[in-house]
Amino acid sequence: MSTSLLQIDDLKVQFKTGEGVVPSVNGVTFSVNEGETVAVVGESGCGKSITSLSILGLVPSPGEISGGTIKFGGKDLLKIKKRELRKLRGNDISMIFQEPMTSLNPVFSIGNQIGEVLRLHQKLDKKQALNKAVEMLDLVGIPDAEKVVSRFPHQLSGGMRQRVMIAMALACNPKLLIADEPTTALDVTIQAQILELIKKLKTDFNTGVIMITHDLGVVAEVADRVVVMYAGEVVEEAPVNELFANPKHPYTKGLLSSIPNVDQVVEELGTIEGSVPNPLNLPKGCKFNPRCPLATERCRKESPVLEEVGPAHQKRCFNV
Amino acid sequence: MKFLIKNILRIIPVLFIISLIVFLLVRVTGDPVSLMLPETATDAERAQLRESLGLNDPLYIQYFTYLGDLITGDFGESFRYNQPALGLVLERLPASFGLAFASMLVATLISIPLGILSAIKRNSFIDLFITGGAVLGKAMPNFWLGIMLILLFSVQLNIFPVSGTGSLMHFVLPAITLGTAIAAEMTRLIRSSMLEILGQEYIRTARSKGLLEAVVVNKHGFRNALIPVVTIMALQTATLIGGTLITETVFSWPGMGQLLIQAVNLRDMAVVQAATFIIALLVIISNLLADLAYRYLDPRIKYD
Repeated sequence: MSTSLLQIDDLKVQFKTGEGVVPSVNGVTFSVNEGETVAVVGESGCGKSITSLSILGLVPSPGEISGGTIKFGGKDLLKIKKRELRKLRGNDISMIFQEPMTSLNPVFSIGNQIGEVLRLHQKLDKKQALNKAVEMLDLVGIPDAEKVVSRFPHQLSGGMRQRVMIAMALACNPKLLIADEPTTALDVTIQAQILELIKKLKTDFNTGVIMITHDLGVVAEVADRVVVMYAGEVVEEAPVNELFANPKHPYTKGLLSSIPNVDQVVEELGTIEGSVPNPLNLPKGCKFNPRCPLATERCRKESPVLEEVGPAHQKRCFNV
Repeated sequence: MKFLIKNILRIIPVLFIISLIVFLLVRVTGDPVSLMLPETATDAERAQLRESLGLNDPLYIQYFTYLGDLITGDFGESFRYNQPALGLVLERLPASFGLAFASMLVATLISIPLGILSAIKRNSFIDLFITGGAVLGKAMPNFWLGIMLILLFSVQLNIFPVSGTGSLMHFVLPAITLGTAIAAEMTRLIRSSMLEILGQEYIRTARSKGLLEAVVVNKHGFRNALIPVVTIMALQTATLIGGTLITETVFSWPGMGQLLIQAVNLRDMAVVQAATFIIALLVIISNLLADLAYRYLDPRIKYD
């Protein structure tokens, strides 16, 4: 296996609000290797987006990182100077966001916005940057790239804009690509194309990818390894085939049973009872216990830790 | 270009409507003949003047005659100055224009940095100080601020002239007097506009690219925040050119406001008409310029 590119250890992020301190990410640990796609899965509000934003120091106010380390290339991204972090952003580590419709600046042309990263990090001049932008648009499968560079975001469809975002993210050949729900806002056919594209780029450039998603279909499509998060914690981590074949944590099982299967006729899809706990008032013990079919007295009192259950397979549960 | 031609053509009907309103303005404010002649004038003299002014013709004939005169630039004579009214108005225009420009310059120079600063330092002491200052700036009456500035900078420190025109130094105090209230308003507007823009997702994208925070704020943020600000700038400029009577009076500034108010007091209707017409035209032009600015600032407008 290749070497570790990113190592997140015991990451804690909290939001200080009027109602109190909200722990959003609570001791998250996982790593990403070169050329590997790690999917981070969980319901809305489980802290997966905040985890990804922490890597680039983009946690929105009033959130703050209150503990842990994020090691990239031997350096702790939480400790390096702002200037050093800026050098990594968009260059070694880049990000694709969920909303292609609003993630591009409406008043600058596509060429300008892609060229901006190249001018900044690779010191290209305006013309070189524009040529490279055309090249990147070609690469992500945008027809008529020469024309598209002079267009503005509102003149492109959602799928096209997401391709532009990807072109922008990949312009400087990043070692790590963080994709925060890159296909959620797109329709299904475009989704498949975008995922195909990300997969291809990963193999072509040996880029490590963190794929944040709540869509297990996407996970099956692109991931090598899966990290399942619940209420700010990692509850299970396993290689993708292992996780789908042999899920351990009741939450993972619940997630998997809620996917429709084309081959089987099912009367009713599985659901997970209850809803995500209020982060201001997390349950005692295992955070999943109020919704868990296997919960015991112990689960209500003690917090389980992440432990090995097989090769590269970890779970946070007493009962399996 | 097509847009420009279309919009210039669109001005024409507006000008017709304005001319009609200006024309009726005089007719509804009393009998011009009794205004122009002394009270001792005989009925025969009145009738004669009425005839020579064409006031016995039907109203629509009078209007068309008036319109014909307008097209040739003839707004009639001021009976006070015995000069063509348009000339009197145009004579005042450079002073009004210059002061308007200087005031907007003051307002812009103050409000842009303060507005941005107060947005990025939201809810801090600096923000509180700036927004508080803006309330004060807006609340201070013009005449009071003008007089205070004269007392301090002209009388005490002897840096700027007390009143009148003639040099660039003459512009400073009146421009600050007028610019302060506008700056206050614009600072608040820029602040709220920036706050909205800085929460947008493309700002996060810009940060994720590794840009300097200053570039994120000034390029990606401000360019977008400027769009609503341009509207206010255009409206304010038009108001300023149209006359700022109080400030003009405090500084004995020979601007449009003074001319217009004198003309109204003396019922010098030719001057009132000419001034109203020119001010309306300037408002239209400044709106046209604002439209052009939008199209430059926001590509979404161009292609719709």
